[in-house]
Amino acid sequence: MITLQFDMKKFDSGRITRIGIVIVAAVLVEVISVVQYQRLRNMMGEEVNLRSKVVLGAMVHEIEHMLELTEITLAENKWDIMRHLSNPDSLFPVMTRLIDDNPNVVGGCLAFLPYYYPSKGRLFEPYAHKLADGTIVTEQLASPEHDYTQNQEFIWAMEHLIPFWTDPYLYGTDSLSYATYSAPIYDSEGRLAAWCGLDIDLSWLGDTLNTHQPFHSSFGLLLTIEGNLVAGPSPAQIPREEVFEVVDIVNGRLSASDFPGLVIRKTQLDKEPYWQLIQVHKTEEIYRRMTQMRHQHILFMLLGLAILAFMINRYARNERKLREASAEQARIGGELEVARDIQQQMLPKVFPSYIYGTLEPALEVGGDLYDFYIRDGKLFFCIGDVSGKGVPSAMLMSMIHSLFRVVSRKEENPSQILWTLNNQLCAGDDNNMFVTCFVGCLDLYTGKLNYANAGHDKPFLLTTSASILPVKANLPLGVYPMTEFELQSMTLSPGTTLFLYTDGLTEAKNKEHKALGRERVQQVLDACLAKGTDTPEDLVGALSAEAHSFAGGSSQSDDLTLLCIRYQPGDNLRKQITLGNNTEEVAALSDFVKDFLGQIEMERRVAAGLRLALEETVVNVMNYAYPAGEHGEVTVYADSNYKEVRFTVVDAGFPFDPTAVLSADTTLDVQNRPIGGLGIHLTRKMVDSISYSRKHGFNVLTLTKSIS
Amino acid sequence: MTTRVEELDGKFVVTFSGELDTAAAAETEKALAPVLENLGKDIVFDCTELEYIASSGLRLLLSVLKKAQAAGAHVVLKNVNDVVKDVLDLTGFVALFDIE
Repeated sequence: MITLQFDMKKFDSGRITRIGIVIVAAVLVEVISVVQYQRLRNMMGEEVNLRSKVVLGAMVHEIEHMLELTEITLAENKWDIMRHLSNPDSLFPVMTRLIDDNPNVVGGCLAFLPYYYPSKGRLFEPYAHKLADGTIVTEQLASPEHDYTQNQEFIWAMEHLIPFWTDPYLYGTDSLSYATYSAPIYDSEGRLAAWCGLDIDLSWLGDTLNTHQPFHSSFGLLLTIEGNLVAGPSPAQIPREEVFEVVDIVNGRLSASDFPGLVIRKTQLDKEPYWQLIQVHKTEEIYRRMTQMRHQHILFMLLGLAILAFMINRYARNERKLREASAEQARIGGELEVARDIQQQMLPKVFPSYIYGTLEPALEVGGDLYDFYIRDGKLFFCIGDVSGKGVPSAMLMSMIHSLFRVVSRKEENPSQILWTLNNQLCAGDDNNMFVTCFVGCLDLYTGKLNYANAGHDKPFLLTTSASILPVKANLPLGVYPMTEFELQSMTLSPGTTLFLYTDGLTEAKNKEHKALGRERVQQVLDACLAKGTDTPEDLVGALSAEAHSFAGGSSQSDDLTLLCIRYQPGDNLRKQITLGNNTEEVAALSDFVKDFLGQIEMERRVAAGLRLALEETVVNVMNYAYPAGEHGEVTVYADSNYKEVRFTVVDAGFPFDPTAVLSADTTLDVQNRPIGGLGIHLTRKMVDSISYSRKHGFNVLTLTKSIS
Repeated sequence: MTTRVEELDGKFVVTFSGELDTAAAAETEKALAPVLENLGKDIVFDCTELEYIASSGLRLLLSVLKKAQAAGAHVVLKNVNDVVKDVLDLTGFVALFDIE
């Protein structure tokens, strides 16, 4: 099983694909390489043929020229010989002159027919030849031991009586090779007198043939028409055996196909003696460069393939990592989405007309916070900014938010609230994160604003124009424990607006990385005041829009939080309470509602009806909005302008619209009366209107009753 | 909210004092246990000091009424104030109880 798993892992489809790509690339490159190599080889072959042709052509020309010169020499000197035939001894100088006349001719003889000169005996052969130092000596060659009439050539000549070239031969011990041109000499009476033979030295031919070779290992040969070797490379250059192998191939004694390493090119003199010129090339050398190139090519190809394989592998691995990373990112993204929801849930949802706020995190979760609620006729609010961004900041933000809620329940001095928050934060935070925070408490009846600051941006105070609220900077929270945050206060006149923000607004960057700045914020606020579009919602909307349009396409780099509070005492009375889903907490609700309604003049029965309507609604939420056994909350916002009382009941339970429920039948007799179902009926009867809406996951039920 | 149960002349006299809201209903129900354990006797609810009643209180009264009537007993509400009377009117309870 383990082996199988291993194999399956090893041969997963991705790997097969990758191997396939490398193989296909290898085959392709190899095919191209082979085709290219063959083409080059053919071109090279043609080139060799061409060069051979040129060299051989030149050689033929040279040899023919030499032979012709010898023939001409003899022809031109024939008259001189004929002139001196009468005096046999004068023929020696004649021959000396003759061979002196042509540098190719190394010796010359006159082989007289037997008894031509009776005085000279049967044979007479005057001969002149050049010594190594160039001096010319003469001698009479014929002797009983050297009977030229027995020579094959002489016999042949006597039969044919035409000039001819002898086959080359070696003469004496100097190992030089010679060829002789012989022509008949006739005397004045037209009788054949002698054969004149001029010897030419052919030994230079071998050198000449082998001097101008197109390749280092090439060599040239000169063969007679019968295929006998006349001249060739020196044994030092090419071993004799090789030379004779070629001779045998040319003569058909060996098969050329047995010697694939040799390229043999052949040409022939156009005239007598029809010698054959042979040029031999070794394919090994011709194609050596090409073979080397091919080897290099293969090497490069292998290298390239190795790199390709490596890159594909790397790419595949990176891609896999990327896939894994994006899956991980998607998971984290999902969790962040949930975190964002949780964080958004913590923010106030329902805004009275005199308060508006917004928080736009730069990332999924933010480090900004704001909150407000009303307790005992006082509006508690805060705005804060945790250093940094992302999850750590968000967690700290949640902690601060909860702490603010808990601490401000029992403490209404902002300075004290900050003091407690700071000490809690210093005790718990080892990450050196800090939080700027502004906390305020506004008495809704008197307009007295108490506030304290912990390093947060100074809010704007808006009356007829925008100015900056006098605020002591102080240290942020979380820097030093036991820091004092000075309590400040001022009394707001009705209509005054406070505009609070985090640095996500003033530090909003445009494409040129220029910050929006506090001056610009002030200008926009002033413009709103001038236009009269100055409700908290208007102001928050205007500044949010300004920040976005200023940033243009640039991504938001910091959380943007805006909170705007207008002190609008008017005749309004506001209170709120949050309860758990436990009917025992109805006692607290009863106190709350009696206290609230007690501040408004109204009939006792009306007040009792309102109280009943609210209690029935809240109890209904406590009993049925949340799953049994699960904790949930219900918040009641009570407000009144002394002419009308309004209760807003908010819960995060199952969506449920009580206004859609039918009224209970109140006419049934005792035994048929159901025990439940009276609550909603009573609520309906006790108020003027009930309206329900579902907002942001909350049930919002509003009860209104006129008391005039 | 306090609930006092007395037996006078073969009748149960239940005296409510305070506000019978939802929070007080459970406690009140416990206090009514002796009444429900001895069905058959007439019951008088003295509401002179009952300042307020919510539907949970009404349910309590209804369940006592159902059981008492089934046992052939009579149930009377005495001295209900205007606030409580409104609730009884609105729920049709005035037709179920004898109100003195």
